[in-house]
Amino acid sequence: MSEFIDVDVRPILRAGGEPFSIIMAALDRLAPGQGLRLYAPFKPVPLFDVMASKGFAHQEAELEGGEWEIRFMPVGSFEAAEPAPAALADGDWPEPVVHLDNRDLDPPEPMVRILAAAEQLAPGQTLSALLSREPVFLFRELTKRGHQWRGGFTPQKDVYQLTVRVLA
Amino acid sequence: MIGTSLCKWAISYFAAAIVWLLLAEVLMVAGFGFPNDDIGGPDTLVIVHMVCIGWLSMVVCGALFQFVPVLVARPLYAERWTLPALALLTLGLTILLAGFLALGGHINGPRWLLPVGAGLLIAGFVLVVANLGMTLWLARPLPGPARFAAVGLACICVTAAFGGMFSLVLSGAAVAARWPELLVSGVPIHAIAGLGGWLTFTAMGVSYRLLAMFMLAPDSDARLGRLAWLAGAAALAVGVVGGVLALWRATGLNLVLLVAGAAALLSLIAYGHDVLGLYRTRKRRALELNTRMSILSLASLAAVAILGAALLATGSFQPHVGALVFLVAFGWLTGLVLANLYKIVPFLTWLEAYGPVMGRVPTPRVQDLVAERRATKWFVLFFAGSWAATLMLLVDAALGFRVALAVVTLATLGLGEELIRARRLADVAEPLRLPTGAAVPHLLISRN
Repeated sequence: MSEFIDVDVRPILRAGGEPFSIIMAALDRLAPGQGLRLYAPFKPVPLFDVMASKGFAHQEAELEGGEWEIRFMPVGSFEAAEPAPAALADGDWPEPVVHLDNRDLDPPEPMVRILAAAEQLAPGQTLSALLSREPVFLFRELTKRGHQWRGGFTPQKDVYQLTVRVLA
Repeated sequence: MIGTSLCKWAISYFAAAIVWLLLAEVLMVAGFGFPNDDIGGPDTLVIVHMVCIGWLSMVVCGALFQFVPVLVARPLYAERWTLPALALLTLGLTILLAGFLALGGHINGPRWLLPVGAGLLIAGFVLVVANLGMTLWLARPLPGPARFAAVGLACICVTAAFGGMFSLVLSGAAVAARWPELLVSGVPIHAIAGLGGWLTFTAMGVSYRLLAMFMLAPDSDARLGRLAWLAGAAALAVGVVGGVLALWRATGLNLVLLVAGAAALLSLIAYGHDVLGLYRTRKRRALELNTRMSILSLASLAAVAILGAALLATGSFQPHVGALVFLVAFGWLTGLVLANLYKIVPFLTWLEAYGPVMGRVPTPRVQDLVAERRATKWFVLFFAGSWAATLMLLVDAALGFRVALAVVTLATLGLGEELIRARRLADVAEPLRLPTGAAVPHLLISRN
């Protein structure tokens, strides 16, 4: 038995299709202890919660061209798997302390509020924000301040979900 | 995505562009070139190239360097190529204009001025196209607005190639004697690819994203802009490829232009429909000045479509083509560019000045960098002057055209001053203006 079942949703999304049901169908085919390796054109952040609720932890790796390889494994089996690459070794981030919904704010107000909220956090804490666009100019400020972030569009492409972790 | 940084030289492109615009306007007020001179004469060519290369192309290049990375969520391929490109374009245009002035007998100059100027301009545009082209290529599949920019980049290549050949013909090079028809039949292709493909089509594409961004309108539907793009790309392909074929077989261009014109009209109608949709579905009810003034430039574009169709239908296209081109260059393109610069320059300045301290201390809003009420009168003067000047060209009133252009020039000066004031943070109220850690940006260069 191979360790992972591979699911590549890139062609489905490119064709305008809906990949969620295909991922769920693949889950049903998994043997005990087997993982799911997902290839996606963006980081499927909303899927992480769904998979966590089904008992799967994940490791993520950015591929060339902004695409992502995500490995979902039943919780507890990562230790037995190959060691995680160094870039992913920072482990899972803590639950967000602050939740912002900045979808209906006039630009660049979403950016101002996220930076202001980040200033209030203790080192290592995280905040999450919902946005209507990818905040490309915010990333520049986050980088300068040494903060980390994870983000991606929902499959419907109408909400950008961002998590920021303040410099530890 | 590692985030978009500020393009260091975008503001320099904008500044150089505004200087060229003012220079061209002053010359027109002084009565230089069309309508006093022949529409194809060397003096008119000076003005046309000042406006289309010096002003419009420079400003579009600067805006694309800053916003193509935003459109495709990728960094610019080679930031270090942007300054050499600016230098090549500026030097090339200066020498090209000297060549036209020599052709018109205003100065004594050698014949090689035109081909050398054209060569430097082509080199500059090659750097621009390679840089933006690689950025787009690495971002495939392209989102809608970026596809418009890709077609625009292909069109500037066609425009530059024809321009290079014309410069050889006009300088009397032996090689040019083999294509005696080139200048007559090639000029429409040069103009369609330049004004229609490179400038108009690119502006249409970028405006989809900018309007949606500034008005908080949903633009995630992949179908948005598709018909406008397909019809427009078809119009340009028919115009350019058909034009070249017609040239080669030395037959008339009329059928090609008619088909291309019909497709272009369809594209403009689809674009107008899309833009009205964006205005209707916007979440931001109160519009800012840049968006309101963009409406006036879009009205000019609609007027271009109506006027163009009417002139074609009544068979009076040829005598009035100057008025139509002026309306494209000023009412539509210059109006749209000025309206958007009025948003882009304060935004980039705000990001540069207050980004480092944002969230740590109170900072002004982007709107605090501008005084909309003061700028409104300059915009009103600009559009009124541009429309009046078009009207004067239609009724062959040369003096009236110059008076209207004087109003346009005054408005341009006023808007230029507003942009400088924004850059200097001159309108920001004092307690917020310079918190500790913030600095006034350089007038012409962005620091990252």
